[in-house]
Amino acid sequence: MFDFRFVVWTLCTLTIKCKPSPVNLSSKQHSLSINSSTISVGIVANPVSARDIRRVIANATSLQVSDRANIVMCVLAAVRACGVKRVLMMPENGGIRSLLKRGLQREQKLCDNRFPELEMTDTQISGTVDDTFAATQAMVDSGVKAIVVLGGDGTHRAVAKVCGQVPIAGISTGTNNAFPEHREPTITGLAVGLAATGRIPESVAFTLNKLLCVKINDGERSDIALVDVVVSTERYIGARALWRTDNLREIFVTFADPEVIGMSAIAGLLEPVSRNDFGGLHVLLDDPEVTENLLQVPIAPGLISTVGVQSWQQLEPGIPFTLRQSSGIIALDGERELEFGPEDTVQVTLYEKAFRTVNVGACMRHTGQHRLLVGAPLELLAT
Amino acid sequence: MSDNPFPLSRDELLNIYQTMRTIREFEERVHVEFSRGDIPGFVHLYAGEEASATGIMTHLRKDDRIASTHRGHGHCIAKGVDVKGMMAEIFGKKTGVCGGKGGSMHIADLDKGMMGANGILGAGAPLACGAALAAKYRDKGDIAISFVGDGASNQGTFLESLNLASIWNLPVVFVVENNGYAEATSVDWAVACDSYVDRASGFGMPGVTVDGTDFFAVYEAAGEIIRRAREGGGPSLLECKMIRFFGHFEGDMQTYRAEGEVDDIRAKRDCLKSFSKTVTAAGVLSQEDLEACDMDVLSLIEEAVSSALAAELPIEADLLTDVYVNY
Repeated sequence: MFDFRFVVWTLCTLTIKCKPSPVNLSSKQHSLSINSSTISVGIVANPVSARDIRRVIANATSLQVSDRANIVMCVLAAVRACGVKRVLMMPENGGIRSLLKRGLQREQKLCDNRFPELEMTDTQISGTVDDTFAATQAMVDSGVKAIVVLGGDGTHRAVAKVCGQVPIAGISTGTNNAFPEHREPTITGLAVGLAATGRIPESVAFTLNKLLCVKINDGERSDIALVDVVVSTERYIGARALWRTDNLREIFVTFADPEVIGMSAIAGLLEPVSRNDFGGLHVLLDDPEVTENLLQVPIAPGLISTVGVQSWQQLEPGIPFTLRQSSGIIALDGERELEFGPEDTVQVTLYEKAFRTVNVGACMRHTGQHRLLVGAPLELLAT
Repeated sequence: MSDNPFPLSRDELLNIYQTMRTIREFEERVHVEFSRGDIPGFVHLYAGEEASATGIMTHLRKDDRIASTHRGHGHCIAKGVDVKGMMAEIFGKKTGVCGGKGGSMHIADLDKGMMGANGILGAGAPLACGAALAAKYRDKGDIAISFVGDGASNQGTFLESLNLASIWNLPVVFVVENNGYAEATSVDWAVACDSYVDRASGFGMPGVTVDGTDFFAVYEAAGEIIRRAREGGGPSLLECKMIRFFGHFEGDMQTYRAEGEVDDIRAKRDCLKSFSKTVTAAGVLSQEDLEACDMDVLSLIEEAVSSALAAELPIEADLLTDVYVNY
């Protein structure tokens, strides 16, 4: 057995000083190309996700701003532990930034070097989704290797609209959270840090995802959804969140997970489709008062509603589906966004391999299998 | 399917527009009249915030009570207080709704369920709790609304009221009208707990944030919250994120605001414009409908100002009336 007490494993600028171990790590060593320029990641933390009417009509929780700041602190500590020196963050006036400032000042006094340099993107604060678009674009332009997103399905959708090929890593702080997986943010931070610094091969670290595109009148208006496109006979946007099920008529999903809540749960409880499966699902719905085919669906936290089901079929990628409903509203990832009338032609198309996410599970399995975190703290990759 | 996509009839939508337009014209005119020096005391204008008062008050009944703030004209108009009586009150005239002795910050009309604007920050919340307790005993499904600004939300009275409402499960709704400034201090500097939803959950009640410049967003959210309160679901908090077109008070130089900020919000976030655009685009109301309404409102405000100017001031003996009330 090789004694690792004195082994120094140098990989480009990465140095890991291994502690005594009964396992031979040499077989796990592999060559990784690590970018020697400043490695940075982005963070988009939405201070106003999980604030909508579902706190009243259901029992949705509302993650406090201080909790969101703590989540960001966890991510910062984790990416720094992987060697990330610089983090770019979306500025906001919802309280996260000011709590982080206080937290980082406090930590600086207690312990050196546990956190990376934190910079805010030089973008305007309007308190709307435009902030997310602008900050994401600034992060992409500055070459971040990945973007950590704190929010629900809507926030992730906003980032995905702009991020291009930059992978995103989701942390659930929204209401339904079908898209971001539930996971301890420190682990997400570690996975992002290891992936961003090139310690995990891209083929392992990143996953390609499906996406739905809605086009009205050949692109006169268009938008995307990461999880579901729902057509309702309601015809005004109002408070945005969608929860009334008697008006639902069609749903298109990229994946149908029976373990999530929200609109995509309708599809998930009829025919599960995983994120990695080919195609999605298209379900035709009816007013539960006029059909005998009823389904009980967890439509919001603590709210199980009856949905009338007509039929469902596989949604093949690349083929535009024209809506059956002639007028109403279209909800994207659970929020009413687009109104349409009889004069409009609306088409929904599923696209495969549309954007990238950090596969946190795969990253951490790879990390364990290759003992990437064995040894002394990782050095900063930078500068 | 009906051609009206909204959950309100054509007549109801026209009434809502009329209310919002009346608040806007009332405030724009008070702004002008105050600059002429005919109005005593301070005035704090509600222009730009009409969607909040109207979106909430559309759900209220006559016996529901509201407790307003120093910026209370919009709440009064939306709750049905007589516009001419309000204008006379602001001018300090005997024909005012409070005999000209209250002025802008103390307009009240109990017959309409309007318990008063209030010059003391945060003082409306305990009043609303009292009204809600009475409503709970009467058991007729009435509710109370407490309006509060982002600055006054830091007052002890407000926080104590949240606690009281929660432990007694009162039919009360706390509406935080967050226009971003406590007088001249940005909310970012003044409120330690940046989310009012967080604050509500700290007192064991649900909180919701809506775009307070979007009438339909406020209307829908307020409808669910008020229904919950009527049915015994207890208190909740509604934060309306909004903007004000004028300064904190008339005469405020607004040096704390960014250059062009007011022009920008008037151009891009005017709730009245967005309401008009939405209902006309849907074909439910026509531009002619709205213009006819505008004319009616203008003549009402003109009449209100003329009659207020012509009215008499209270006399010395009036100082001794309305001091005590026999129950």
